[in-house]
Amino acid sequence: MDLLQVNNVSKGFGELKAVTDVSFSVESREVVGLLGPNGSGKSTMMKLTVGVLKPDAGTIQMLGSDVASNPTNAKMNVGFVPESPRLYEFLTGIEYLDFVAELYGLDRTVKQDRISEFLKALDLEGRENELIHGYSQGMKQKLAIIAAMLHRPKILVLDEPLNALDPKSARIVKELIHKFRDEGVPTIFSTHVLEIAEAICDRLIIMYQGRIIAEGTAEQLKTKAGSTGSTLEEVFLKLTGTSDTREIVEALWR
Amino acid sequence: MRTRAVYRLATVLTKSQLRGNQRGRIFTRWLSKPYTILVVDVSLICVLGFLGYAAFSSYLPPDFTSALQGTEIQGLTAIPTATSFAVILLGILGELSQSIQSSNTDLVNWLPISPSEYVAGSTLSLAYTYSFLPSLFLGASLGPAIFFGQPNVWLASAIMSAVSLLIGACVVEMLRSITNRISSSFYKRSGRSGIIVRLGLTILVLVFFQLLFSGQIIVYVLHAIVQTVEAVWFIPVVWPSLAVQTASEGLLLPLLFALLSLAFTSVLFGLAVNFRTRYWIPVPVSIKINSKPYQPTSTKIGIPGVTSAESAIFRKDLRSLTRRREMARFLAIPFVLAASMAISLSQISTASGSANLAATIPLYLIPIAVFCEVLSMTSIGQEGQAVWNIYAAPIEPKQLLKAKMLLTTLLGIAFTFAMLIAITFFVSPSASDIALLLCLGFIVVLEEASFGLYVATKFPDFRETVRSRYVTIWGSMIGMFLGIVIALVTATPILLEAFFSGLTIELTAATFFVGVIICLVSWKVTMRQAKLMFENIQI
Repeated sequence: MDLLQVNNVSKGFGELKAVTDVSFSVESREVVGLLGPNGSGKSTMMKLTVGVLKPDAGTIQMLGSDVASNPTNAKMNVGFVPESPRLYEFLTGIEYLDFVAELYGLDRTVKQDRISEFLKALDLEGRENELIHGYSQGMKQKLAIIAAMLHRPKILVLDEPLNALDPKSARIVKELIHKFRDEGVPTIFSTHVLEIAEAICDRLIIMYQGRIIAEGTAEQLKTKAGSTGSTLEEVFLKLTGTSDTREIVEALWR
Repeated sequence: MRTRAVYRLATVLTKSQLRGNQRGRIFTRWLSKPYTILVVDVSLICVLGFLGYAAFSSYLPPDFTSALQGTEIQGLTAIPTATSFAVILLGILGELSQSIQSSNTDLVNWLPISPSEYVAGSTLSLAYTYSFLPSLFLGASLGPAIFFGQPNVWLASAIMSAVSLLIGACVVEMLRSITNRISSSFYKRSGRSGIIVRLGLTILVLVFFQLLFSGQIIVYVLHAIVQTVEAVWFIPVVWPSLAVQTASEGLLLPLLFALLSLAFTSVLFGLAVNFRTRYWIPVPVSIKINSKPYQPTSTKIGIPGVTSAESAIFRKDLRSLTRRREMARFLAIPFVLAASMAISLSQISTASGSANLAATIPLYLIPIAVFCEVLSMTSIGQEGQAVWNIYAAPIEPKQLLKAKMLLTTLLGIAFTFAMLIAITFFVSPSASDIALLLCLGFIVVLEEASFGLYVATKFPDFRETVRSRYVTIWGSMIGMFLGIVIALVTATPILLEAFFSGLTIELTAATFFVGVIICLVSWKVTMRQAKLMFENIQI
């Protein structure tokens, strides 16, 4: 069953066409990787998906409801981590999570239990009463991830969620994503680390200059690119038209 | 020390300072270059000097000019010391209103710059930025100095003001290093109480600064400098002024004080380098607010009709106001305005009750209007880049507006009570006047809170710079102007009571009718604007 359906969506910012005529769907029990070079429209696509941005054209259906016409409903069902999330640095970690839980209307006991569990799992226990201002980038990222998962969303949209995480926390987040998938909660996941994408994602979507240029499993993409047996990185560079990187380095060295 | 590196660093820091203030293209493109700042300063001195000389030689009556003869030397003597004080005060104010994210010197930590080069560059950039102060003083005094035949004393004052500018800049540079370290250690140990102490001290400094720059007090301070400069000759910061004062008494004394001033500047520079070397990298502050185990807060704040999401935003904003260093300027507003009102009220005659009420109402309403308007119109932009938390949350624009309005209204009502107590102390109004003023205050609080939110949603500024504005320049100008107009329009019917004394009830009713209409219209347009804002995310 498609939990999310994106149909011919376009979005521009003035002259810049960030996303052009993009269509894809996400079923329950799958992790979809959104890949693409910088500026390819991944983050814009994610913001459109969660109802933070309104598309100029096309529709996005989440759980049968139109995201653009009812963004609050969509936001209630989504757990979202943006790229480099900015948190309220004048709050303590616990106050921030408490704030987010209240925005989602979580019950007091549920809130307490879940926050405590997540803090323990991601090694933030003992630091929760400190102002976020004093947190490292990795700790802030962990808080953002907890905040996205706290209300048990029906869809997770994570924009480079493993940035700055230590190996243990990264592993826990990966396991959590798979746990959510097993419970029927799909994830749209973006990353620049192609090994991670290959390891975590069931299906990959490659975006380039605001459009989808390829879609499928890692193996299907390799076949499509005519590079069976090569790495995902080589397939990615081929599909996105990147010229010989060795030539670029040589030119820089001169 | 590499002079080229110092010059480049000073240029970059000046640009950062001016662009952080977002003062438009003229400032960012032209005035961020040191030599153009110098040209502007010299032009300012020349233009003011010419105007001053023209005024003294052609327009001012001879009685007036002859009365000023003699005070010219006093004025020129005061300029260097006044320059140091003004630079130190402005520097402290700048540090206090800076957001924590912008207050470190991360960039220079990995660039190949030595502490002495950094301090020299930073001091020079402060001197560039604040050079308009001595230029104003010197420009204003040039015309009279030429008119009274004292160009040599003026020249001495100009040279010593430049030295004083560097003295002030070195002190600010030292304060930056020290406060970074002291505040880090202080917060680590004190936690929540440290934040409260910081807030109190910041408000105190801001209020002191604002009051100091009121006209009467400036005159008093300048006079005091001139009166006491000789008595406190042992205080190094007045040595530049002493060099000017003794300029007409031969060469030895002025030269001695000038050399002492230069030596003092060098010592300060050395100290600043020493502090910067010792406290080069700011220690990341980790402030523990609470040591008790986690207990979730109650879901609502206990006001009927306020949901848990609205309560959460309200509590978050209250913490923002009391914990963010750059927010203290907003909390200082009521104290500054109340003090200004108290000065004005103390001058009002208490002879006639009705006349007093008419004179009191604007003095009472304008501070309330300004405070609520400023709080309200900055309430959306102060979310900064963290506003995505609001955009991504399942809340309606109406809920956000309600929470924002609640905070402004509650703080505005508290301020209204404080103002009323002050008025009762100064004017002794009747019980009916107090009731009227109270209701009028409440209406204005609601009007400004709702209209301010319209400005906040129409002109939000989410950029996080050295000194963030939270609302665009146009927005703040429109907001402040219309905010005061709204308060005065609301009060107009009641002010007409002085002319139509038999129509008290009708005029009071008209006032509240106008107030309610303004509130409703503001709320309606704000709602529409907030929906548009939610659809066009600005981050």
